Amino acid sequence: MFKLNLKIALRNLWKNKGYTFINVIGLSIGMASCILIFLFIRYQLSFDEGIKNEDRIYRFVTEWKYDAFDDYSNAVAIPAVKVAKNEIAGIEKSAAIFRRWSILRVKDASGKDLFKQDETIYYVEPDFFDIFGMRWLTAKPTQALSQPNTVALSETAAQQYFGNAQTAIGKTVTMANNTPLKVSGVFKDMPKNSSFPLNIMVSYETYPDKNGDCWDCVSSGNEFYVLLKEGLTAKDIEGSLAQFNKKNYADRKVAGNQVNKMEALRDIHFSEHYDNFSYNTISKTEIYGLAIIALFLIVTACINFVNLSTAQAINRAKEVGVRKVMGSLRKQLMLQFLTETFLVTLAAMLIACVLAELAIPQMENLFKGTVSIGLFQHPVIFVFMLLLVLFVGLLAGFYPAVVMSGFTPALAIKNKITLNTGGLSLRKILVVVQFSIAIILIISTIVVMRQMQYVQQKQLGFNANEVMMISLPNDSLSRLKHESFKERLLKIPGVNKVSFCQDAPLSPNINSSDFAFNGIKNKDFEVRRMKADEDYFDLFDLKLIAGKLFAKSDTANGYVVNETFLKKVHITNPQDALGKMINSTGQNIPIIGVIKDFNDLSLKENISGLTISAGKTSYWRAAIKLDTKQLFVADKKVEALWNSIFPNYIYYSKFVNENINGQYETEKVMGILFKVFAGVIIFISFIGLFGLMSFVATQRTKEMAIRKVLGATTFELVKMLNGSFLLMVFIANLVAWPVAYLIVNGWLNGFAYRMELNVWPFVLAMLITMFITLLTVSIRSYKAAVANTIDALKYE
Amino acid sequence: MITIENLEKVYKTEEIETTALNGINLHVATGEFVSIMGPSGCGKSTLLNVMGLLDKPESGSYKFIDTELLTLNDRERSNFRKRNMGFVFQNFNLIDELTVFENIELPLIYNKVPAGERKKLVNEIIGRMNIVNRSGHFPQQLSGGQQQRVAVARALVTKPKLVLADEPTGNLDSTHGNEVMELLCELNETGTTIVMVTHSSHDASFSNRIINLKDGHVISEKINKGKTEELI
Ligand SMILES: Nc1ncnc2c1ncn2[C@@H]1O[C@H](COP(=O)(O)OP(=O)(O)OP(=O)(O)O)[C@@H](O)[C@H]1O
Ligand SMILES: [Mg+2]
Repeated sequence: MFKLNLKIALRNLWKNKGYTFINVIGLSIGMASCILIFLFIRYQLSFDEGIKNEDRIYRFVTEWKYDAFDDYSNAVAIPAVKVAKNEIAGIEKSAAIFRRWSILRVKDASGKDLFKQDETIYYVEPDFFDIFGMRWLTAKPTQALSQPNTVALSETAAQQYFGNAQTAIGKTVTMANNTPLKVSGVFKDMPKNSSFPLNIMVSYETYPDKNGDCWDCVSSGNEFYVLLKEGLTAKDIEGSLAQFNKKNYADRKVAGNQVNKMEALRDIHFSEHYDNFSYNTISKTEIYGLAIIALFLIVTACINFVNLSTAQAINRAKEVGVRKVMGSLRKQLMLQFLTETFLVTLAAMLIACVLAELAIPQMENLFKGTVSIGLFQHPVIFVFMLLLVLFVGLLAGFYPAVVMSGFTPALAIKNKITLNTGGLSLRKILVVVQFSIAIILIISTIVVMRQMQYVQQKQLGFNANEVMMISLPNDSLSRLKHESFKERLLKIPGVNKVSFCQDAPLSPNINSSDFAFNGIKNKDFEVRRMKADEDYFDLFDLKLIAGKLFAKSDTANGYVVNETFLKKVHITNPQDALGKMINSTGQNIPIIGVIKDFNDLSLKENISGLTISAGKTSYWRAAIKLDTKQLFVADKKVEALWNSIFPNYIYYSKFVNENINGQYETEKVMGILFKVFAGVIIFISFIGLFGLMSFVATQRTKEMAIRKVLGATTFELVKMLNGSFLLMVFIANLVAWPVAYLIVNGWLNGFAYRMELNVWPFVLAMLITMFITLLTVSIRSYKAAVANTIDALKYE
Repeated sequence: MITIENLEKVYKTEEIETTALNGINLHVATGEFVSIMGPSGCGKSTLLNVMGLLDKPESGSYKFIDTELLTLNDRERSNFRKRNMGFVFQNFNLIDELTVFENIELPLIYNKVPAGERKKLVNEIIGRMNIVNRSGHFPQQLSGGQQQRVAVARALVTKPKLVLADEPTGNLDSTHGNEVMELLCELNETGTTIVMVTHSSHDASFSNRIINLKDGHVISEKINKGKTEELI
């Protein structure tokens, strides 16, 4: 019986090659997209998995509650590292891991550099290895990193520095200019799906500030992990943690209601507030969003299937009738139709795998190597594929099977089954649903693209054209050379202006702090403290509106503030602000000037209250305004000069505008994903429409012939066939609009600076869909309308 | 009214070529009622389709009054057809999804007749055809004879100069068949030219002239005396 079913199924599929093709193509593209999304989501969910005690490992994070806003950090204050384990009951082990950057060298016997590189290093406490169950390539060092001046390297780093893991042991690496580190162990490389891209781990004992006692200094590189005692969870030690917070922050009168909280290891990758060492997080919302798109994709493809199969059902009415007369049970008929569906689905799955495999490199590219996926990564992928086939097979096959097996034999044999052309057939509803989905995606895509354009074109309030930021070594020795470096830079032809500063005007890397204004402690907001020399304002074209700029100085002797700062401290006339005192550093410093507002953070955020002052020790960057015409030559000469002045350091340069645009990387990727998946859904929808149109045209051949004999022109016939399809797509637009509005409006609300959401994306989506619909169905209906009439009329 | 000269029509399929019409010469006068007879496959339907501009011959000439029709393009053919010709088929060819009234109304719509006048014309012809109480029915709800009367009504509603009928009684029993033939005769008496294909000599006896085809040729013509005299 099964074999017979299979045979009939294959023959039927072959007989209706055209529809089978459309079904398989639509399904396989939909499934391939689904598989890709699944791979991506699975990869994201796999972050930091497989660590032995993963459900007992927590990260300490810090939270502040100011009157006006909350603030969050992934890090802790340094003194907390020492006392947490003793003061909080239930902690089995704890370990600090602090990230820093440094130049590492490997020298030969004569002291010459064999190797020199800027590296990210981590100071770690020895228990870190136990907590995370790190695997050693060399014999496990008994006292790994308990001594000062020791280092553990990853396999890759060991190979890079010393050739291989074994030879690395006992060798010396020099950190900065003169700190020797002895290699005490080599560990297995961290996997890519880890929030810990650890390469070089230096013993915490080596860390110069390990005895720091500032409870309100939280620097984002200073993370702290604990392993709870067996059987305990974060809940169990809440009370103990509260006491710890009270004793160390509240009782010490640390500002901003600072507290520590615990975050589970497996939540780190999905943190919305807290960053991590891999700079790689994804919000659960984004994951759900993608999952919904995957569902949309598969539903769209299934709708094609259902529509085409039920439409074709009528052609099979006679077969069903005959079978029933011969004694076939309804159940057996359903089984036969389901067999057919599963055959198609299975074929589609095979093609989908090939398509997915082809698309994986593109997808990895899109995420700039932060994602590594593959079809054979994990057995669960096969389970997913199997479930997908079952799900699609049932979803797409069940309804047509019920319809077809339900024909009354008497009518079926006489071929008197008619399609319910009038009224609200399920097919029409499905087409409307399908197109609503496509339209929602089109509108979202248009809005995402427009907002990105808006963000990139928005006047930021400063001019960073042709401004290059280069690194500026800032230790006490290098600082002595700053003066002459600047002079020599300005002598290079093509270098117009130079300013030493902390960073560009729009930068996330500026500290903020609480402050007192005119002697009164401010509780509403933190002020961002930007450090730059006196040339900064001219170089970036920042406009002074009151007072004056500060004169050349090594330390802060007067603040230039922005308009937002004034607004936030309720001063309306900029002149009134001059001479008022700000204390954010333990020192009262007067406001001497006010500048126009500019965007100091990505456009997702509002402008902050800002002070700009001199502060030589914070100048980590040199901003260089180049002459447009000599951009490339000057660029090379700057680098040469830099290398001759700071031979021990590593040069870095980047144009400010590139950096600013880099802030919207996530949104850009999202835009691309939207474009691709919207394209896929539109494609699937339209080949479905084409199939349906073909079917309708075939069904109505005779009617069209009669109409033609009675005088209908080709145009009238095309119009007649197209009409109902255009109406369906039009209705789909109306259905999609409110839903799309809610979605895109919600997304735009995530931006402090958002474009005006007008009716155009909606109208455009309508025009696009109506136009493609017209094109798609016209191709087929025109063919039907000009076909030879007579043959259709001759035979009954 | 119609002058056909040397008409040839060849059907080419993948395997074979069939010469359906092989040099047909034919004249039909205005107001005439002509029957075409002959064995199955001799080309009767093909000839009728060519006359109705539903099919294009390979060569020959087809003049309608003074217009040569074979040189017209598709649009012109379609326009000419809807203004001058009506069709009745053996298998009725009504549109299942439209009611009797709507089926009859259809050619008027394509002829751009205003709605008010359409209603009048359709109701008038429905009265003549004796199907008044059926006008809201769908074709499937009618008997064969009734369906064919609807088809005739549809062919007549535009008051065409020429009606082409291909075995109009072929699917009907003799009673219903006679009803349809009488309708055609009445129509002919009001001046409409009719060309009818038939296998039945009984049906043919209603016409003025009988043309016999064989293998795509006209082999003989017979004038139906009784009828012709009437005409004179
Ligand atoms: N579309 C077509 N393709 C190929 N051959 C055709 C086609 N239509 C008709 N023929 C052939 O042309 C010839 C004439 O056909 P036609 O339909 O005119 O015959 P007929 O005289 O009407 O026969 P019948 O009395 O059975 O209706 C036949 O041999 C037929 O097989
Ligand atoms: Mg025939």
